[in-house]
Amino acid sequence: MGTNKRKWMRLFAVLFALSLVGAACGDDDSADQQDQDAEETASQPSEDAAGTDSETADETSPPTTEAAERGEVTVGVLVPLTGELGEFGAIVADAIEFGVSEINAAGGTRCGDIRTVVADTGGDAETGIREATNMIESEGAVAILGPTSGVMVPLVDLAHREEVVIMSPYAGTITLNELGGDFVYRTVSSDLGDGAASGLWLSSRGYESVAFLIQNEESTISPAEVARDEVNAAGIKITDFIVYNPGQPSYQAELTTVLANDPDAIFLAGGQESGVTVIKEAVAGGFEGEWLFTADLAVPEIFDAVGADLINDKAFVEFADVDPSLPEFISFEERYDKAGDPFAPNSFDMVTLVALALESAGGCDGAAINGTIRGVADSDGTKVSTFAEGRDVLAAGGTINYEGASGPLVFDASGTVSGAYTIQQAINGEWVNVEFYPASTFDR
Amino acid sequence: MLLLQFFVTGVVTGCFLILATIGFSLTRRVEGFLNIAHAELLGVSAFTTWWLNAELGVHVIVAAVVAIAFTALVGLLIARVIYDPIRARGPAVLLITSTGVAFVLGGVIDGLIGTGIRTLQIGLAHRYEVFGIRITSHQLLMVVLAAATSVSLAVFLNRTRTGLAIRAMSANPSLAASRGVNLSATSRATWLLSSSLAGIAGVMLAVVATLTTDLAFAQILQILAVAILAGLGSLYAVIVSGLLVGIAMDVSAFWIPAGYRPLVAFAVVIVVLVFRPAGLAGTRAA
Repeated sequence: MGTNKRKWMRLFAVLFALSLVGAACGDDDSADQQDQDAEETASQPSEDAAGTDSETADETSPPTTEAAERGEVTVGVLVPLTGELGEFGAIVADAIEFGVSEINAAGGTRCGDIRTVVADTGGDAETGIREATNMIESEGAVAILGPTSGVMVPLVDLAHREEVVIMSPYAGTITLNELGGDFVYRTVSSDLGDGAASGLWLSSRGYESVAFLIQNEESTISPAEVARDEVNAAGIKITDFIVYNPGQPSYQAELTTVLANDPDAIFLAGGQESGVTVIKEAVAGGFEGEWLFTADLAVPEIFDAVGADLINDKAFVEFADVDPSLPEFISFEERYDKAGDPFAPNSFDMVTLVALALESAGGCDGAAINGTIRGVADSDGTKVSTFAEGRDVLAAGGTINYEGASGPLVFDASGTVSGAYTIQQAINGEWVNVEFYPASTFDR
Repeated sequence: MLLLQFFVTGVVTGCFLILATIGFSLTRRVEGFLNIAHAELLGVSAFTTWWLNAELGVHVIVAAVVAIAFTALVGLLIARVIYDPIRARGPAVLLITSTGVAFVLGGVIDGLIGTGIRTLQIGLAHRYEVFGIRITSHQLLMVVLAAATSVSLAVFLNRTRTGLAIRAMSANPSLAASRGVNLSATSRATWLLSSSLAGIAGVMLAVVATLTTDLAFAQILQILAVAILAGLGSLYAVIVSGLLVGIAMDVSAFWIPAGYRPLVAFAVVIVVLVFRPAGLAGTRAA
């Protein structure tokens, strides 16, 4: 018994020692960063914490060559890999990884190679906050890329408090029009842009009257109001502007006045569940005019659900898109076989911008990125479209203007870029491109 | 004329509410608790109909009959396995348990069906116009089914041995037992009946709506509104209550934005309860 007991004690002691070693090694990735932070904190009076923001950018991790002697700078990839938006999250994560592989293959940033830590939010804000906090505090992430609208908005405070840049390639929510701009950026346009594009399309069709059927959500109402103003300005009669609640078995009550007014077209900004029922009930009710749908209905499944013959030739759909004729996109498409996936170019641009901002900055943290990201995205400097090009120009003492695969990236005051939009028409049971509005269309 | 069109639409909405609520009220009357999972039984029926019709190519009428029968069995199984063993713990425990059952059913449907939308393989509804009032074949079917179900239920409860036993049990279980009513068998019949009524509502949900896995449970608030307005337990008042709520909701869209329809439904409930705290049926429940 005594020998057995000693064996167990030894085993326990060995395991305990190993766990201590493991714990010490486990934080190794962020250890450098934390050590630096600790040194800086020690060098400054603690009561002066609020005043150290700009100093931190100047004093953290001094610029080095050879990718900071093969050190690493951590970027968090915070996406929904499960849940309703899981498909999009996977696309974003893959495109970011592709961007990181190009950056590291080109020698990495002056702060080191980019290391990614990936977390699944499942589209849940609470999970997103927990994972983002973990990325920043445990992993030392200097930027967090990829949150959806519902996750990104609650992260704004965290971004400001921790001075970490948060960027999204698909968060179109108009809430960020107010909150974004400092540490908070997106490489996709605001939902309001969809409204402008929809309004432009509706105004150009020669309609005399248009009805608006809008699902009761912020992301649909605000763009619809923009489209309504555009249509109004064009002198087109708006017969109805009806905001409806989704989740109903039928939308006959909402359609009653619409059908009675018999508009030339219906602008339907709704989800698939409500949208399909509305379309069927409107056509069954005698509506023979044209439709303009928003992006949720821009999927092939709509033809099966509605019946292709009901919408063929009569239905159009509007959604944010990239300009496939851009040389930067064509080049991206040649290098990345999944370039055509939704938000893939926006995601690639996001991580490339972060890397170029690090390359341009005097520091290696979020504040440094925040201080330089606008400068590398939009300046009178040399036009570049890859990290390697940008790094070389910066190394030579020049300034750069990064033109992305998703289009020109000019951040407005809210940290949002202008977007391009495509209009497709339902033809023979599939969506076919009929109009493209480049971002420059809306620069007015 | 437009107001009349809203009224007709409201009648159709009311008929769906009757179908969705009448089984819920029957359960409340006989079993003595609010079965929140009733709404998810609509989903069981709707997705069974969809699976048989859209996936297996079964004719929609056959699919509907099978779905209603299957939903009745699911309802009975849930009652026997989950509710019966805890019946003695009282209606509050049963109510909370039924909420849990609703989540489990919803989770199972989510797991089996997945995300996205589902529709039956049926044609577009035909449109009829009578004196300028428009109504579709699907709307007519809703009205006919609600009327047929209500009449059939009334006949069943008043003219059949099982129906009379259900009424006796709902009025006074102890007295019913002392007069030879088999309470267990009557309870089983009640569950089969109420769940099959949910099945009928689920089939109509599949016919008129675009299905998502959360659509069925989204109806629970309106089911509760109609049931409370009727007076929890009354069956005949459910018919009046369903029509009242449906018509009030849809006709209100003539004056106020349609987005406020749910608010109108609950406003009607509140106003009626102010004057008749026991609901439309008052203390005399059928």
